Amino acid sequence: MRSVTIKRKHDLYPYALLTPAVAGAVAIIFIPMLFSFVLSFMNYVLHRPQDHAFVFLDNYRRALGDGVFRIALRNTFIWIVGVIGLQVSLGFVTALFLNRRFAWRGLARALILIPWVTPSVITALMWRFMLDGNTGIINDLLVRVGILQEYVPWLAMSSTALPAVMVALMWQGFPFFAVMILAGLQAIPTELYEVADVDGAKTYQKFFRITLPLVMPVLLTTILLRTIWVANSLDIIFIMTGGGPGYSSYTLPLYSYIRAYRGLDFGYAATIAVYLTILLIALITGYVVKVLKSEDMY
Amino acid sequence: MKRVFIVGVVLLIGIGLLFAGGAREEPVRTVEFWYHLDDPEARLDPLIEEFEAQNPDIRIDAQHVPWDAYHERLITAVAAGNPPDAAQVKLWWQPQLVELDALQPLDEYLAGWNGVDDVFDRIWELTRYEDGTQYYMPLQMVILYMYYRVDVFDELGLEIPETREEFLDVAATITEEIDDMYGFGIRGARGGHDYWGTFVLSSGAEFFDADGNVVLDSSEAIEANQWYIEMYREHGVSPPTTPADGFVEVIDNMLTGRTAMTIHHIGSARQMHDQFGDDISAFVVPAGTEGRWTSFGDEQTAILATDPDVQDAAWEWISFLATAEYNQMWNDISGQVSINISNEDVDYGEIQRFLEVTTASADYAGVLPAHPEIASFVESTWPAEMQRAFEGEITSEQMMRNLADHFRD
Repeated sequence: MRSVTIKRKHDLYPYALLTPAVAGAVAIIFIPMLFSFVLSFMNYVLHRPQDHAFVFLDNYRRALGDGVFRIALRNTFIWIVGVIGLQVSLGFVTALFLNRRFAWRGLARALILIPWVTPSVITALMWRFMLDGNTGIINDLLVRVGILQEYVPWLAMSSTALPAVMVALMWQGFPFFAVMILAGLQAIPTELYEVADVDGAKTYQKFFRITLPLVMPVLLTTILLRTIWVANSLDIIFIMTGGGPGYSSYTLPLYSYIRAYRGLDFGYAATIAVYLTILLIALITGYVVKVLKSEDMY
Repeated sequence: MKRVFIVGVVLLIGIGLLFAGGAREEPVRTVEFWYHLDDPEARLDPLIEEFEAQNPDIRIDAQHVPWDAYHERLITAVAAGNPPDAAQVKLWWQPQLVELDALQPLDEYLAGWNGVDDVFDRIWELTRYEDGTQYYMPLQMVILYMYYRVDVFDELGLEIPETREEFLDVAATITEEIDDMYGFGIRGARGGHDYWGTFVLSSGAEFFDADGNVVLDSSEAIEANQWYIEMYREHGVSPPTTPADGFVEVIDNMLTGRTAMTIHHIGSARQMHDQFGDDISAFVVPAGTEGRWTSFGDEQTAILATDPDVQDAAWEWISFLATAEYNQMWNDISGQVSINISNEDVDYGEIQRFLEVTTASADYAGVLPAHPEIASFVESTWPAEMQRAFEGEITSEQMMRNLADHFRD
């Protein structure tokens, strides 16, 4: 009888430990999320309390006919694919470099984390100054080496504003990929490379047949995490361009923010946020399905 | 028994002290006051100390709020039922605050206030709401004018332009004649509607006709807007960074000699004078086809408290700030111009010339129409559409139609 009681206590112990975290998550994440979801079905312009009402799917239909929403949606895809692509590429090259033996390797591994630990606000302001069309150091350097004939207002042209912000976020985020991929590289048994050498495999064959497949699980998980973060990030865009010029650097979270806090249209802003959530859920579902299939293969 | 006796005595003394204190002291009312000053190091302490000395039953809890977030914080605080008791406010927020039923009408207070006649009539006119109610208490006179480089004008033998055509000629000459200098620094980002209004609202563009219909896309408005866009796109008198230039960039361009003219108010005069001395001065904005228009870049105060006692205390505070002596103190701190007639002759020393241009511009000062959508027009629609037009993504006609639709929708 006593052993049964102790067992029950032990059964409840994990739940007791989890309760504060779950309660916190419910209070500060799930309830606001639920409230946002409800808001997305409402006409909820903050300064018109007399007009607050349920409009069901009107906001969702309105978004589909909204030209700015379509620009923001397109930019969100470009933003995610571009930033993640750049971060993966630079992160992979950096990880391969850091995996080799060279003097001061420990210091290099530590320094590479500086962009990652730099707050987004600082990163955004720093890149804004560097890209300044009148006094920016990047223009200065490019003119001095002869690549440019005159200064380019990177953040004032719709063709270059979003790419310029993407470069800034690439700089901030690539160390995360580098560190994660480096951890994956170090887990690969060296015997595999030795066997490949014996078989006469070339460098690119070793990379595509050994390195890449074995790093892939880490890489996919990292890409998934970063995709969610990058998709939701708006601070760097907001500080560097404010979404402009025009709507050229609007992404969905930025558009949602601007509708909420500049237009005070919280209902429509919530609808945009729900669309973004649906987009991210679709991406995550695709990832989970892929992982489950690959596990079945083994 | 002894312990019970001691406890009883202590309780009796405590209750006695409580009542004795309550009988002697009046309850202190606290007024939470939100404000903004461009100079983050400027403090209201001298004003608050003076006010609290005169009103020992009122305490001012002054909170500095950054301008960029001021509007959203104020509206969300009101919507959440937790507004400040009094606040520094801008005219184009007034329709939203009226819709939220957040403002206390001041007419009854003003009827008993002896300072009404010492405030310029024009300021009462500009700040009165469209239904005739006075919700806002004048605080400072912020009227925009044109800064210009005297040395550059002298070097090129240029005259102060009176019309927009003359202005364009002057700006084009400077751009052409002086290396790395542009004639005019246009603010293309948020806040640039004041610049746009100077050239477009003075040349036939209006927001609404007499019947309240939106007429921002009239042929006159489209033409006036086209002229404004061409200043940047065709004539190139403003730097290539114009679409993204906000307040900081426009002032920096002027201070670093990148531009020779720009529009702002007396708040920048000290900085300009420190940089250029007598080589910087100002003139009233040039006339458009229909006359002159400059922005009354206003700031007033308002009562948002719901408790009648606190409303009265808030009135004491905002009326104190509008009386000549203390209004001048406020404006010495904020760097702006007093709203009081009796302060007209105050000497601004080395920046006196900018005060004179401010006063000379008062007759042309206008405000954007009182419409609930004017705040989002200023905050997001105008900057985005203007930038698209500057970039050549849309025509003047498309831009004005989009601006008009902002109010039609």
